[in-house]
Amino acid sequence: MTIHQLLICWLCLSLTLPITAQETFTLSGTVTAEASNETLIGVNILIPEENTGVVTNEYGFFSLKLPEGSYLLQVSYLGYKTISRQLDIHEDTKLNLQLAESSENLDEVVITEDIEQIDIRSPEMSVNKLSINTIQKLPAVFGEVDVVRSLLLLPGVSNAGEGSSGFNVRGGAVDQNLILLDEATIFNASHLFGLFSIFNPDAIKDLTLYKGGIPAKFGGRVSSVLDIYQRDGNSREFKAQGGIGIISSRLLAEGPIVKDKSSFLVGGRSSYAHLFLKLTDNPNSAYFYDLNTKLNHKIDSNNKILFSGYFGRDVFNINENFKNIYGNSVFNFRWNHIFSDNIFSNLSLIYSDYYYGLTLDFVEFNWDSGIKNFNIKYDFNHYLSDRFKLEYGLQNTYYRFAPGEITPTTETSGINYYKLDNKYAVESAAYISAEQEISENFSVEYGARVSGFFRLGQENMNFYNNDQPVIYNEERDIYQEATPVNTETGNRSKVIKSFFNIEPRLAVAYTLNEDQSFKASYNRMTQYLHLISNTSSPTPIDVWAPSGPYIKPQLLDQVAVGYFRNLRDGDFSLETEAFYKKIQNRIDYVDGANLIANNAIETAILNGRARAYGLELLLKKNEGRLTGWLSYTLSRSEQQTPGRTATESGINNGAWYNANFDRTHDFSLTSSYQLNEKWQLNANFIYQSGLATTYPVGQYQYANISIPVYSSRNSNRLPAYHRLDMAATYTPHPKGDRKLKSSWNFGIYNLYNRKNAYSITFRQNIDEQRNEATRLSLFGIIPSITYNFSF
Amino acid sequence: MRKLTNILLIFIVSVLITGCEDVVEIELEESEPRLVVEASIEWLKDTEGNFQSIKLSSTSGYYEEDAPVITNARVRIVDTEGNVFIFDHISEGIYRNSYFRPHLNMEYQLQIEYQEEFYTANETFIPVVDLDYIEQTNGGGLEGDEIEIKAYYTDPANEPNYYMFTFRNERATFEIYEDEFTDGNQIFGYFSNEDIETGDELYIELAGISRSYYDYLFILRSQIGTNAGGPFETKPATVKGNIINQTNRNNYALGYFRLSQVVEADFTVD
Repeated sequence: MTIHQLLICWLCLSLTLPITAQETFTLSGTVTAEASNETLIGVNILIPEENTGVVTNEYGFFSLKLPEGSYLLQVSYLGYKTISRQLDIHEDTKLNLQLAESSENLDEVVITEDIEQIDIRSPEMSVNKLSINTIQKLPAVFGEVDVVRSLLLLPGVSNAGEGSSGFNVRGGAVDQNLILLDEATIFNASHLFGLFSIFNPDAIKDLTLYKGGIPAKFGGRVSSVLDIYQRDGNSREFKAQGGIGIISSRLLAEGPIVKDKSSFLVGGRSSYAHLFLKLTDNPNSAYFYDLNTKLNHKIDSNNKILFSGYFGRDVFNINENFKNIYGNSVFNFRWNHIFSDNIFSNLSLIYSDYYYGLTLDFVEFNWDSGIKNFNIKYDFNHYLSDRFKLEYGLQNTYYRFAPGEITPTTETSGINYYKLDNKYAVESAAYISAEQEISENFSVEYGARVSGFFRLGQENMNFYNNDQPVIYNEERDIYQEATPVNTETGNRSKVIKSFFNIEPRLAVAYTLNEDQSFKASYNRMTQYLHLISNTSSPTPIDVWAPSGPYIKPQLLDQVAVGYFRNLRDGDFSLETEAFYKKIQNRIDYVDGANLIANNAIETAILNGRARAYGLELLLKKNEGRLTGWLSYTLSRSEQQTPGRTATESGINNGAWYNANFDRTHDFSLTSSYQLNEKWQLNANFIYQSGLATTYPVGQYQYANISIPVYSSRNSNRLPAYHRLDMAATYTPHPKGDRKLKSSWNFGIYNLYNRKNAYSITFRQNIDEQRNEATRLSLFGIIPSITYNFSF
Repeated sequence: MRKLTNILLIFIVSVLITGCEDVVEIELEESEPRLVVEASIEWLKDTEGNFQSIKLSSTSGYYEEDAPVITNARVRIVDTEGNVFIFDHISEGIYRNSYFRPHLNMEYQLQIEYQEEFYTANETFIPVVDLDYIEQTNGGGLEGDEIEIKAYYTDPANEPNYYMFTFRNERATFEIYEDEFTDGNQIFGYFSNEDIETGDELYIELAGISRSYYDYLFILRSQIGTNAGGPFETKPATVKGNIINQTNRNNYALGYFRLSQVVEADFTVD
């Protein structure tokens, strides 16, 4: 079905709906937590008599159309006590609901809180949610609770090995994930080059990972969306919480400014300075910190404004010789406005900045680079009926890429001042998406996003013979940089290249009965920015390049089908999915490309494609003292860069090769056992096929060095990866009115101390003048302890 | 700038690696042998430069300790004036010529006949500037306790230049430089090694090299890499040089034919 047909279809439906429906009234409002008055995302509001319901949006808002009558309203949310209440509807009704945390009211141990149940009826699929509560109890390396690492326990999510930055979703690359923190794009979500992620778990309210069937409101990255919201702050009373661990400490304070109307939240986290550097008297330091801030003010029942900010830095200082600082700053302002009781809107103004700086004293120069962007978004949720909901909006982002500026630090420095050309671009999008219950057991979500990308002029614009920035040297069978035939001075207010794409999205759910459904989805997505990296795992200095005259946007098509089932009244749930995706215009660098400080990155890359397919299985146990999940993924992720003409060899002779992060099998078991009120025990077991890698097939001597010879790329595999982690959380005073609440978390990572191969390296042993294979293993057994408190 | 990247990556890896390295047994496949050419014609300034040699060998299994040498090839270099310099096999895969005539900026062609296949390589004779002076500082390196040697030279302005430094005490290490960010400046080749100490004799050689040889060495370095194995390891690739098999394109040879003018200095570490 084309977009036009979809739109016409939608128009007819929306026009006919008011006629066929009997007179209805709107029930709308906001759901908050009783203790903090914090809005809750994804709360289920059900009207069993009408067999209908709604879920609160990102700002806790809901709206529902009901005919006149008396209804039983059920409001349920993970970790909170379910409310059932009788409600008479005879006019448009505003209802603000407050939920109490279940653990505060029940004497019995409550176990349901950790695990979300699946939504059988909703067309939403390929989506994973993890509650912060669950994340905080998982065993973690060095005891550092980490949002991104927790995601790795889910099907379809993996990474390129311990200590590598970012994550890979369904065989997608790290740069293909859209990471949003309070709606602002984060370009590099790692601390310490990938050991930890930048999200302070105390400051986070909710996170959702979309792996497929991605709604039309998201765009700009082709693989996944990780949508993270920070907490608003408690507007009832002042609260503080924190933790002390072996790597870092955290402290967060929140409280009302005007009770029930406005609140603040300030959270900070910092690691200890001499991290990893064993010598106590050395002048080196390596540390990170981040700061989360939030202010929100409820102007009246229809208007609310929120300010939020994030600032984080990693600092490395080696002997004052080498200084390296990098990190993100994000600032945003949002305005929630309820136009009428069934139209919710959010306007966001976002500024985000990624900075990378380096000072090398012994070479006497400074290096600065970064990306700045200004983003304006206006999003609407429009609840047309109890069976039809629309989302639509506009987004516009202005980017300024500063790939690098080199300045000498001394008068006598041998380095000249040099600035790589800044690049500018505008990305615009408009979307509309409908969620519709067509019949009792058939619901559908469909929509489209129209995106445009406008590359603006820059100071120096290169032109090449035949528009080919990369030359193929047929004699030597290598690719080489072309020399520009002409360089022109561009104008920043002029568009030099523009792209338009229509991205249809479709998801359907067919419900067999209360407990079983089939779902299917298709989505097309476009990515206009590319992270160009020639290392196994991206580094902070890798360059983000915008699409333009020589780089085309990546286009993804993904289909997924799934079978979902609740077993034994929801005690267990099963989610199985199969997916296939292909990406056009996935660029790869040519062998030996110099990507750093390259002012003409187009001379180092070739256009190719990527594909990935797989099966995912997630079985959860939701009830009882023992809860947890079993996750299994069978997948393949490949890339191909053929030659541009028949005579060219392309990369890897033009054949498909495994992606660096390709893993055939990925299995994990995550479990949690509530021993008693004071002790909770957790264990994870992970088993994965080794990553794809390339082993030499020979060697030769040149200049007295042994040089390896390789055949095809990534055709070998590292040994399998597996480990077992355990953790225990001890809460000394789970009940009682003590103001200070505390808990201890004891963990052991890699319990049986397996030396998992991070990599196998082939090299010459200089002393013995022979070649050998060495295995690098990163983390052996690591015990940890963390103390958490709140008052 | 590429050097800078290396430093950075080495550093990142050393920070990250709290883990351990051990030698493991990995079985490897073995490819068909290929011809390997090491034809580095060097002309020391103010000498005749007539004695030159070229080394031929072949690829072997990765763990094999001795490189198989090639003794039955026919090797010669021709210049654009039509002079032909025959290289005769002496021993152990070394081929020698005693009447070579170096001319700066002249084009040369290397020709090899081996196993009924004909290989050629073209390259220009690249000049080099003099070394200005050599400086020693202590307390350098990333560790802060190493002896650093800086060999200064002055880059000619307004033209791209590429350099290769060889520092040799017990063993040789090479460093390559380009002048993209240092054009026209007095700049240095940098050597720092935890093993050198007072009294050591250090031989320093500076060679002018071509852009394409620079690129070749850049890739070659990344493949023998000091940063190999970490999260930021460069992906493996076979390093292709400028030797072309005219008979059978697929049976390409490895190695390089280059011609450099060189300057040298001996330095005693204080």
